Amino acid sequence: MRRSAKSSVSGGVILWTVVIMAVLSILATEVLRAVSGRFQLGLQVASWQESLIAAESGIDLAIVELRKSLYPAPNGAWSGWDNAPGNNVISHGLTTIPNAGLAGTPMTIEVAVDAPAQLVDPATGWQYYRIRTLGWLPLTGPPRVGFNKQDNRLRKLTLRWQRVIDTLFASETTQPHTARRLEAIIAPVSSFQQAILSIGTLNLNNQNIVIDSYDSRDAAKSTNGLYDVAKRQQNGDIATNGNLIQAGGAYVYGDVATNSGTATGVSNVTGVQRTDFYQAPIPIGAPTWPSINPTPSTVSGTTTLNASATAGSSSSRYLLSGISVSGTQTLTIAGDPNGSPTFIEIYVAGDISVTGSSQIILGNGVQAKIYFKGDVTIAGKGMLNPNDRPSDLLLYGVQPTDGSTHSLTLGGNGQITAAVYAPDYDVTVNGGGNSGHVFGSVVGKTVGMNGVTNLHYDEALAFTGLINNYKIVSWVEDTR
Amino acid sequence: MLTEMMISIVIFSAISMGLLMGFVSLERNFAATTDFATNHADAIRISDYLALDLRRALTVQAAQNNTTITIPSYYDANGVPQLPTLDGNGGVIYGGAGSSVTVHYFLVGNTIFRQQGAAPAVGIAENVRDFLFDVTDSGKVVATRITFNTIYTSAGSNAANLGIATTKTGSAVYNTTLLRNTRSDLGSGVY
Repeated sequence: MRRSAKSSVSGGVILWTVVIMAVLSILATEVLRAVSGRFQLGLQVASWQESLIAAESGIDLAIVELRKSLYPAPNGAWSGWDNAPGNNVISHGLTTIPNAGLAGTPMTIEVAVDAPAQLVDPATGWQYYRIRTLGWLPLTGPPRVGFNKQDNRLRKLTLRWQRVIDTLFASETTQPHTARRLEAIIAPVSSFQQAILSIGTLNLNNQNIVIDSYDSRDAAKSTNGLYDVAKRQQNGDIATNGNLIQAGGAYVYGDVATNSGTATGVSNVTGVQRTDFYQAPIPIGAPTWPSINPTPSTVSGTTTLNASATAGSSSSRYLLSGISVSGTQTLTIAGDPNGSPTFIEIYVAGDISVTGSSQIILGNGVQAKIYFKGDVTIAGKGMLNPNDRPSDLLLYGVQPTDGSTHSLTLGGNGQITAAVYAPDYDVTVNGGGNSGHVFGSVVGKTVGMNGVTNLHYDEALAFTGLINNYKIVSWVEDTR
Repeated sequence: MLTEMMISIVIFSAISMGLLMGFVSLERNFAATTDFATNHADAIRISDYLALDLRRALTVQAAQNNTTITIPSYYDANGVPQLPTLDGNGGVIYGGAGSSVTVHYFLVGNTIFRQQGAAPAVGIAENVRDFLFDVTDSGKVVATRITFNTIYTSAGSNAANLGIATTKTGSAVYNTTLLRNTRSDLGSGVY
């Protein structure tokens, strides 16, 4: 049978068409394979990076709760978590955050916070916290490994088989996902981190003022635990949450920091000038002690209060409606006659007034904390702290319940040795004229220095007093 | 008839030559693009490795194609996380006092290696002879820059025509990492 020429030509065209289509299909497949594989890799890399953001957010969430716990009760700390963290108690928190990108995959953040016994600082008794977090995102698309095995070694994606690391976290899915784990150790921060901290304006009204530092714990930075100008340190930092520091030409051996503001009169500042400062002014609530010394209930003349050898005992605690001494009257806070350490806590619910030639005298070895809720005026002969260690006399301004601002005026004799934390008080330091010295630290809503020529910050204060912040001191990614 | 055949052969040859040239160009372009994508993925991986270790770094010694980082000794000999302890100076240590693990990044031959502690060096990118990784140490932050030679060579697509100084600059992958831990070699921390 004879085939026609026409059908032969048609067959050739079809054959060529099929061949060309096959070649084009192969090319398209190869291009699609190369492109989709790299797209998949890009998606996996992005998800892996997002997982880190999720895990780090978990650290932030836990620190927020720790900071909440510093506020007077009820502060809502650890609300929504299964526990408050403690030794052998792990607090778990779980948060899922919608994600606009990456195909709308939500990020899951699981946090575990605990307070291991070995993370209690023996010197201060402060508890450090361990925060462990897991951040994970589902992986969309086919569960396919990347082109290069090194990518898998780095990112350790869960595709078909669940990677079991530990049993600490329960939220991790068995579906394809990327996960990252972090561990951070959080340390408490003292309320006395600077020589002067003002929530608002900080005004040094005297160009002869000198602010520097020493460290009473270090013989190279102090002499017998006392300030020595020959061992002057340059950590006499001053800072404000506000936007104005009027340094008045003071000699500041330290840094000057504002909150996006300006500092004037800073020609004699040795440290750096920062504009990124903010320190949350954690308020102090009125102490709520289960038991106290029943008498006295107020001080209105020469009086002696006895400190106790046991810190925190009822015999070491006093609740006074006010303190008012005048003329030649004295308030003596007596300790052990041999000068061994004794402790006292006094809560003054009203005003404190020291006028005329009166004086508050701290006994040898006494470590005093005085909380006050009213206005405070210390004049006359001021407050005598015979050990010259500011950590022995801590003054705390309690947050007014009516939102008002009270005043604290410190003055008197030529020397003040104390640390003041009163973030709801307008603090004025009127110390000693041209030879006046203040040893310690001052925190106030506003701070003004009048007639004080020297403020020496004891760096040891950074390891005592109330905790008013937490900071990260160690950060590790668990790359198992 | 001969004339018609000659004309058709010429036309066919011209079309075939055009197709061949187009195919070769596409193939070269595809190869160059694939090479760039592969190298770029390598560069991102190297950058991610460096950033991973820099975030937890305690010390950094930076040099081109030779960077050494020390990180906390987080795992014990069995690879299990250790309990942290206080160092007495406000810091935290894993393992004994002064413990740390050295991580070394270096280029040998065609491969960039990462060596952690005494373990054998592991290649993290291969066929990367022309790669350069630079680490710029600024204290609290450390910047990395990974570059490689691209194989785009035609006049229409080379780096110079794109306004880029060199092919290496055009291929650069940058990363800036905030070091989370206090650096023991500088004594400065972030937080």
